[in-house]
Formats: sequence, C-alpha cells, structure tokens
Amino acid sequence: MMKVTINVNGKPHDAEVEPRTLLVDLLRDHLGLTGTHVGCDTSQCGCCTVHLDGQAIKSCSILAVQAEGSEVLTIEGLAGATGSATQPSEHVDFTTGHRVPAMSALHPVQQAFSACHGLQCGYCTPGMIMATVDLLKRHPDPSEEQIREGLAGNLCRCTGYVNIIEAVRVAARQMRSVA
Amino acid sequence: MNAPDRNLVTEVERAKSRAAAATLQPARHEDLRLVTGLGKYTADWNLPNQAYGYVIRSDRAHARIRGIDLHAVRGAQGVLAVITSDDVLAFGAKTLPTGAPLAGKGNQPINTAGMPILARDKVLFAGQPIAMVIAVSARAAQDAAELAQIDYDELPAVVSPEQALAAGAEKLHEHVPGNLALDFEAGDAAAVAAAFENARFITRHRIESQRLVGAPMELRSALVDYDSTADRYQVFTPTQGMIGMRSTLAAVSGVAIERIEVVAQDVGGSFGLRGGPASEHVLLMVAAQKLKRPVKWTASRSELFIGEWHGRALVLDGELALDGEGNILAIRFTDTVDLGAFTCYWGAFIGSRNISVTMGGVYRVPALYMSSKLVYTNTVPVSAYRGAGRPDIAFAIETLVDTAAAQHGFDPIALRRRNFIPKDAFPYKTANGTTYDCGEFEGVLNKALALANYDGFMARRIEAARRGKLRGIGVACYLEASGGGGAPKDQVSCRWDRDGRVSLFGVTGPSGQGHETSFAQIVADGLGLPLADVRYRASDPKEDLVGNGTGGSRSLYGAGSAFKVMVQRVLDRALPLAAHALGATVGDVTFDRGVFTAGDRQVSLSELARRVAVAGPHPLDCDGDSISGVTYPNGCHIAELEIDRETGVTELVNYSAVDDLGNVISRQLVIGQVHGGVMQGVGQAFGEHAVYDTETGQLLTGSFMDYVMPRAGWIQRIQWDDHPVPTKLNALGAKGVGESGCSGSLPAISNAMLNALRPLGVRQFDMPFTPARVWALLRSS
Repeated sequence: MMKVTINVNGKPHDAEVEPRTLLVDLLRDHLGLTGTHVGCDTSQCGCCTVHLDGQAIKSCSILAVQAEGSEVLTIEGLAGATGSATQPSEHVDFTTGHRVPAMSALHPVQQAFSACHGLQCGYCTPGMIMATVDLLKRHPDPSEEQIREGLAGNLCRCTGYVNIIEAVRVAARQMRSVA
Repeated sequence: MNAPDRNLVTEVERAKSRAAAATLQPARHEDLRLVTGLGKYTADWNLPNQAYGYVIRSDRAHARIRGIDLHAVRGAQGVLAVITSDDVLAFGAKTLPTGAPLAGKGNQPINTAGMPILARDKVLFAGQPIAMVIAVSARAAQDAAELAQIDYDELPAVVSPEQALAAGAEKLHEHVPGNLALDFEAGDAAAVAAAFENARFITRHRIESQRLVGAPMELRSALVDYDSTADRYQVFTPTQGMIGMRSTLAAVSGVAIERIEVVAQDVGGSFGLRGGPASEHVLLMVAAQKLKRPVKWTASRSELFIGEWHGRALVLDGELALDGEGNILAIRFTDTVDLGAFTCYWGAFIGSRNISVTMGGVYRVPALYMSSKLVYTNTVPVSAYRGAGRPDIAFAIETLVDTAAAQHGFDPIALRRRNFIPKDAFPYKTANGTTYDCGEFEGVLNKALALANYDGFMARRIEAARRGKLRGIGVACYLEASGGGGAPKDQVSCRWDRDGRVSLFGVTGPSGQGHETSFAQIVADGLGLPLADVRYRASDPKEDLVGNGTGGSRSLYGAGSAFKVMVQRVLDRALPLAAHALGATVGDVTFDRGVFTAGDRQVSLSELARRVAVAGPHPLDCDGDSISGVTYPNGCHIAELEIDRETGVTELVNYSAVDDLGNVISRQLVIGQVHGGVMQGVGQAFGEHAVYDTETGQLLTGSFMDYVMPRAGWIQRIQWDDHPVPTKLNALGAKGVGESGCSGSLPAISNAMLNALRPLGVRQFDMPFTPARVWALLRSS
C-alpha cells in the first residue's frame, strides 16, 4: 500500500492505496466523488475527465500515486459555492429529498449544457463539461474545428453531439461576456 | 462546402436555443443533478461490507468443456466464493428469456435455445459466462479469476449464417438441425409470385444491416443486497423499466417476485440493451444469498463487447415489381437473420414479426411476402438495439425504391409520390394485415424537400465536382410500428403534499429521454400548476403500479396518456371541493389554467390543495391509466454528402428531417431524440461494425480502440421540422419518437452514398462507409 496526499476540489486528502490504483478509482472509491464516471478501459471515452493542476486529463490513464501533491478539480468542485441570501445555491427536491443545485450557482459551461439540451442520459456529461472548460481556457472563442478537436476524446451515445457543440459555443459567449 | 440556403425554421430554432441559454433556463428537471456530478448511476451505489464479483468467461467460440479447475481460484487471497453452474442450478435458476413464441412455415414452432446463466458442458460463444468469483475487492476477484483452469475440447466455430446453414455445418444445439431456429414467413407468396409474373420492371436490392454493439455509455453494473431475515433481494441495476426487470428477474432466478425489489435512479443509456437481466444479476443474487452480504459487479467496457447483446445483424434481400407507369405491384423479401448463439430476449421477434409488419412502408402495395431464416452462430446473442428491426426494414424498402427508380429511369421523388398511401385512404390495411391509422406522407415529403432545398441539389453537385468531390443526395420515407407494450396497461399516480405540490409516479425507466420533464409538463399544463411544483419520479417501490418500460418509442404516449387521464381524475375530485370552498354548486364552477371560478370568487388549484390537505392520504391523490397500442410514426429524412475522391473520406454536409410524431409535448426533447437517433444511424453508416474472425469466432472489434464510435462533429447540424398528424389511438395523440432517427437515417444516407457513386457504375455498397472501404471502392470503379 502507498500513501497519497492530494488536494481535491480545494480540500486536502490522504489515502492509502495499492500502487496500481488509478486516479479515477481513488476519486470514486476512496473519496466517494462518484460524479467522475468510467465508461471504458482503453482511454477512449473521456467520461473520467478531470483537471490535474489546471489541465484536463483522463483520470483512468494515470495512477493515483502519480497525482501525489497535485491539485485535482472534479465536476463536484467546478461550480464552487456562489449562493447568497437572495439566491440560494441549492434546494431540496420535494419528491426525492435530494439536494438540487440552483442553475444560477453553476459554472457557465454547466449552465450551457443544460440550457442547450446538451445532455440526455448524463453519463458522459461530467467528462464533457470538464473537457469543455479546459477547451475554453485554451480557446475562448473556439472555431468549429477547435471544438471538434477539443471533444474528440469524449464519447456521447445519446445526443449526436449537435447540442453539445452548441453548448460549447453558448458557454464561450457567456464567459467572454462576463470576462 | 456549399451549404443550402439557411432555412427559416432552423433559424428560429437556433434563435430560441440561444435565447434559452442567454436567460440560463435549465432544459430539464433532471439536468441540475447530472451536470454537477450528483447523478446516481448503478456503479455509484455502495453498501457496507459489500463483496465484488468478477465473471470468468469463455475465451473459445465453440468448445466442449472437459473440466473446470477452480482450486487455485478458491485459494487465492481475498476470495470468498466461486459461483458455478452447480450453485446456479441448486438455486433454481432457469435460462434467460427466449422471447414470445413464434411459428414459421407450415406452422412449425421456433426451435428456441435459451442461454444458461452459466455454461456447463459446452460454450457457444467467446464471452459466455462460466463462473463468477466473489472476493473482498474487485481487483482481488479479477486477479483470482486469472487462476482458473478450463479444459476445452475445441469444436469448429460457425461464425456467419452462411457457415451455419452450409451442409454439414457443425451444430450448435443438438436439438436444432441445420442451426436453423425458424424459417419464418409472412404475406401471400402466391399473390406476390403472380404479380412478379405480370411486372414490367423488376428490381432487386440487398442490404446488410451489419452487427453492432449498442454501447450505452454507462457500464453495465449491478449490486445485490440480501436480507436473510425477510428473505428479500434488493437489486440495484440499470433498467428500462422496473416491472419488466423485476418480473423477468423473478422468472429467471426462480425467486418469487415479491421477494425482489429493483432500484434505479439514473440510467446511463439503454437503447434496448438494458430491458431485462443478464446472467450477472442472477449470479449476484446467488452470491449475496450464499454469503449473506451485498455483492457488486461492474463490467469493463471490453467485457461488455463480448458480454452484452449485440444489435442488427440482418441481411434483407428485396425485390420490387413495377408496372410500366411505375405503380408498385409487389414487394418480396428473403432475409437471413443472425441470432448469435442463443435465442435471447427480442432476437427472434426482431428478425421475423418486427420486420414484417411494416414491410410495405409508406406505399400502397397490393401484394407482400417475406421469408426469413433465423440462424444460430457462435457469436454473442443478438437482441434489441434502437429500433430493433424497424430501421433495418425501412433501410431495405427505401434503398429498394431508390434502386428501382435509378434502374428503370424513374424520378425517385415522383416514384414515391405515385405510390404513397394517400391521406384519404386511412385507416389503411396493408396486404399483410397491418392497419395504419393515419398519415400524410406527401405532406411530410414536401416539407422535407423544401427544408433540404432539394431543387438546388444539381447546382451544388456541379459546384462540388469542381472541387473534386462526389456529391450525393438521398431521400428516405420511413414508417415504423411503435411498441405495443407487454403490460396490460400503463398506470401512473400522483401524491399531493401540504404545500400544494404534486409528486408523480410511474414505472417506465428513463435513460436520457427526459421523463422527469415531459411527464411533469403534461401534468403542469393540464392542471395549470407552476412546473416547479410538479415532479416525476420513476419507480418508487412503494407505489404499486403496472406499466411498460421504455422501448419501442412508447413511453411518452403510453405513460403520458395515463398522466393525461390522471389530470382529468384530479380535476373531477377537485371540482366538488372547489365548489365547497367557493360556496357554490358544482355546476357553477369553471376551471381554467389552474384556477376555479364561481361568479366573482376564485381559488387556485394549488391553494385548494393546501386547504384540503389532511393527515393521511391527500384527497386529490389518484391514479391514471391508459391502454395504448401500436402507433405509426413516419417521416422523410434527406441526407446530402460529399466524398473526397483522393482520401475516401465522406462528409455529411447537410441533413434534413421532417417527422410525423403526432402531437409533440416538448419540442426541444423531441429534437434531442431525433439528433441521437440520427447519429446512431450515422455511426452505423460510417464506422460501427462488430467484426468476427470467421475461423476462430473471436471478436476482432473488442474495444473502443477497434470499434468506431461516432464522435463530435460527424454531423454539424440537423435541420428538423415536424408535420404532426395526431393519432386517435391514445389520449395524447402522440406517436413516439425514440427510434425514428435510426429508421430515417440508415436509408437516407445509403441512398445518398449510392446517388454519389452511381455515376461511377456502383450499384451495391454495404455499410460501413469507412474511408478505407470507400477509397478501395473508388480505386476499383
């Protein structure tokens, strides 16, 4: 077993892991951050995309111990707490009892994916969103080609990608207008 | 690229989409948890003290098992148990379902072969489960599985239907001579033969709808908890519907249905693959009961390539008879259907009844006949994948009509117009007995031609030729029969709270369709409530409801119609309460947009619901139910593509679709379904193909590295409009949308490809149109 110390979504964590443990397994199984998904075993699908020290990576393709001392950002940490007295950041769904974040509290990329109907089953969505945030950091006003390339490593089986590409454009516009 | 003129409808759609984003409205109720990582898919559930399963699978396609030595596995570190065929049989488990009974020529019943939960004496496909190792961790289980020693006596692998039907072919199942499960027929062979005798023109065109891997993005997973005190099993699993999953699980496992509870919150895609349990569900039940602790299994993607049902795998050989004017006299199909190694779930139904009920498509065809050979091969069993035969038959009909037009000098549009079932001919009974209730095929076609700027195509083709590109356009008018459903009815319910908010319940299992949004919208619209006060939740086990799962494009009109009925029942209950509250008689009270009015006094339904709330069940709580049968969604899809002669790369430059889905509840969600369905057709057209080695029976495309999945940008935009002809067959007047995208896109793209290639003399070209295959074809043409 090996000890790993990493910072995830702004919080420090220590974990004891087998040397072969992948970063995605550390996040999901040890830290309970199940928003990062696993969709393949050949680094093709991108469901497990997170940010490692500010860069999008597939967390199935590195070992947990390689992330020692790093900053990891997952989908759970993307929005940050932006609630205020007038605009609560979440409410409790009266049917399921689950807490549901408010649209206004989300990152513009998360907002755009929903507003443009860029998700259906939602399984690929956390990875898509994390890849998009990275893409827009590199290309604040991306061309069709840059969007295509930026999402080439992320598979979606439901949407046909048309609305995902639209969501990337809309998010880019939102972020430029705020910046 | 010389795109056709921007269409007004599309511009309006895009403007709406931008406006929605600018005001940052979530498109769906389910989105906020899914974009923040708060969704809960099966693998996200964990229970205290859970153990982990790993499946030992056959690595041979066809072999007798001489012996299974699990000694080292049992002794490996962390191993708690190994579940074998003996354990499964002692538990009382049966085989997986073989589907509804079918009969073929001479009323000969289908020769079914149910897949055992675990192989015992023989393995029939590479990937067939042999045992399950249970250990304290997933890694320990996997490590231990490596130590299994299985002694095989290999048999020749029968990989393709041709091999399986050849004289002297190795038999898969002792009781199935010639590996032929069923020789199916439908229609009138003699009438069709006579029509062909009298035909002026005869056209033949064969399509191969190649074997596909469904690949929902969520990995198949299950977690079973066993309560030994109550003798109850709690099964966490992806599912398309609780009722189907639970009842099939009971039938297959031999455990009484009331002892099984199925739990699913979020499901990461299904497409027909996740309707019923697989071997692993039963193995986990056996293991959890044996060990008295929860046991979890999550597949790897590579494992699912050989461990989950494949789709399509049909060859449909069509013949069309025309008179001198171009009137269709008869259609005949001769089909070969690859079932894989067993009759599993929908496999046999797809290759027989499901492709025969609409075999005349949108046309008035006096004589129809189909024969279909359903064959066992040493491959993964085939079952439903988005459309389950509907896209395949639409593909076959519409490429046959296009080929006939090209071969005999008819305009493909005029030939279609001439033969459409006219709108005043409904209800229309086809030559093989299917009754279509309504449709306006010419109206749909006209709208699609305008949307695609069809008339401008020749100019675009000439311009493309100047750039060295081969440009083609393909039109396809599909019609499909949506799913009738196996449950006697679709039932839903509602529960009101003290704050006047309403929770809705049903059993259809959403896997991306947006049920939480569309069902809530039906009820909110009907009751005039704010959308925020209405929530849908699938499958609360406390609600004792019956109904169908998702499948056959039927959830919206099945459960949705039940909600519409329920809305009326709520209003019937509310009316006397409102009259009492307003001090009026029932006859004096009117209801409009959420408000009851009597003279100058008013009370909103929300306020009334708050006032009449009592301890115990709320007076407005009630059920709704609806019996909704088959409907006939149809549409016209037009694909336009360009082939680069140097590289063989094909680009879809325009895609236009007009669908008649009946009444539409949420345009945005419907467009999303169309996009996804079209893209699955695009995937099949340009990349996807499950390829087997024909000697060894090993799957050569066993991961996302070898199996081409469609990626972002394969289609840049899809122009869509609808042409609703509401059905009277259900309360909503809706026809369903889930599978239409596949049914329209396969023939439209194939026709566009042949349209581009015909000038080079190409008459036949099977999917997938990968650059390598296109390039090779261009070199040889």
